[in-house]
Amino acid sequence: MYPGVWTTYILILFFSWLLVLSVFGCTPGTAWTVVNLFHFAITYHFFHWKKGTPFADDQGMYNGLTWWEQMDNGKQLTRNRKFLIVVPVVLYLIALHTTDYQQPMLFLNTLAVSVLVVAKLPNMHKVRIFGINAEN
Amino acid sequence: MDMAFPVANATAAVLTRVSAAFNAPLARAVVFGVHIDGHLVVEGLLIAVIVFQLTRKSYKPPKKPLTEKEIDELCNEWQPEPLCPPIKEGARIDTPMLESAAGPHTIVDGKEVVNFASANYLGLIGNEKIIDSCVGSLEKYGVGSCGPRGFYGTIDVHLDCEAKIANFLGTPDSILYSYGISTIFSVIPAFCKKGDIIVADEGVHWAVQNGLHLSRSTVVYFKHNDMASLASTLEKLTRGNKRAEKIRRYIVVESIYQNSGQIAPLDEIVRLKEEYRFRVILEESHSFGVLGKSGRGLAEHYGVPIEKIDIITAGMGNALATDGGFCTGSVRVVDHQRLSSSGYVFSASLPPYLASAAVSAVNYLEENPTVLSTLRSNIALMHKELSDTPGLEISSHVLSPIVFLKLKKSTGSPTTDLDLLETITERVLKEDSVFIVTSKKSNLDRCKLPIGIRLFVSAGHTESDIFTLSNSLKRVSASVLSD
Repeated sequence: MYPGVWTTYILILFFSWLLVLSVFGCTPGTAWTVVNLFHFAITYHFFHWKKGTPFADDQGMYNGLTWWEQMDNGKQLTRNRKFLIVVPVVLYLIALHTTDYQQPMLFLNTLAVSVLVVAKLPNMHKVRIFGINAEN
Repeated sequence: MDMAFPVANATAAVLTRVSAAFNAPLARAVVFGVHIDGHLVVEGLLIAVIVFQLTRKSYKPPKKPLTEKEIDELCNEWQPEPLCPPIKEGARIDTPMLESAAGPHTIVDGKEVVNFASANYLGLIGNEKIIDSCVGSLEKYGVGSCGPRGFYGTIDVHLDCEAKIANFLGTPDSILYSYGISTIFSVIPAFCKKGDIIVADEGVHWAVQNGLHLSRSTVVYFKHNDMASLASTLEKLTRGNKRAEKIRRYIVVESIYQNSGQIAPLDEIVRLKEEYRFRVILEESHSFGVLGKSGRGLAEHYGVPIEKIDIITAGMGNALATDGGFCTGSVRVVDHQRLSSSGYVFSASLPPYLASAAVSAVNYLEENPTVLSTLRSNIALMHKELSDTPGLEISSHVLSPIVFLKLKKSTGSPTTDLDLLETITERVLKEDSVFIVTSKKSNLDRCKLPIGIRLFVSAGHTESDIFTLSNSLKRVSASVLSD
């Protein structure tokens, strides 16, 4: 719905890669892995952990829904959602390619991306595994 | 992380085997000049996944209505709760009923008793002039006003009453409300909104607490009538807090606290308000017509100019012996409430006979200022007589017409305290025909001040009434509280 948001998102990822590269002085592959992991942590917390709304005026209708589930009013596989599913996979691709499939990075990347992609699948709408994050 | 290593090793092993498997026969396969190996397969797979996800159609998850079986299950496991929970043993519900007007002498259960339970401070209940003005008003306008102020419910007596009260207090304008306690809980939400800061005394009565709750502002309570606590709260809220400069800040106090009989030190509060730049909302229900040389309230009592207090509200059901309430302040304060105060806009206006009764009451107070000195001598006599009551001590201010007696030694739990006090009041009523009450609190009231016996002194009481009360109370409390 907001094309500016998509572009900003991609640009944030790119610039944070540049930042990590300049601050840590590591190989580009490690930098992409670092970006991937931070992206995982931040988006997991905000999309799939935080629930409810910051406004008090809606009488708690959304208190049990994570922000991902509230997106687009619960409609699955809208353009926003598809874009957001594809971004971690693309990041994964880039990270894999630049680290050349080396060991600790490969495992961490795979873990991060698989958790993110599975959490965003439409079959996981309102599903709470093992009751994690199930309280309002 | 020690699980990770074997797993990592396993995936590495799988990948090397997969790539070896791919590499061996296809090592010689060169498709269009691109060397096929494991990496490319993985990447190709991922791209296929991406394309697949991008091409799925969007849909809304279907709303499944509950099946019959699920409905039956839910109905079976539902336990109805009673609409009204059963009354517990300790809570007594038999309050005495008055059978005549609540003047200084009234009739309870067919017997005439001395009434110390009505806040009839100036003795105006049953006053001839007020009843005459009410009757005249009834004959002219009828009983009700049949509409809110904005929709044909404004009658000239309302405007007269507002002008009279504003004139009496020395403020530019005032606004009338139709129900005493709804004054304060409409005024507070009209000015304080979500995001504002309110510093309130912890002993404010339930109507004020309701107003604070309805305003949705941030409420910080300070210790009851403790100016040091107020100063430190104000300091804490404003020091170093740049954001606090831009949001609206209020202090809410009562002039005479209904729950304890203390009088708020207005000069100290005004000094603090000017230092920290807060606005003061003063609830004057029990001090209007009582404190001050001519009954103009707390500001006159302390010699504070009335313009320094931003908003003054009062219920007229106490000294003025009518119903309803008013709010006064600057012109902007009063004008804002004409459109934004819920109790004013959305309730029917004050019945016109009550408004004319209020006008007559204020006239009476202006013409007979001696009634205030009668009241004050009654209060002083009451304090002198009750100062040596066994087991009870006076915890209210010496000038307050609400004389608050609390137990010298509390039993530890509020319910047993209440039982003791109720026993005292019942026996005083039955044996000596003096009607007194304890300060009952509703379940919604979150004030933590101790309960006690609350006596309302009136200018209509005679000295013999007060002597009767003190003798009876001393006798009964000696017998009840000694064992």
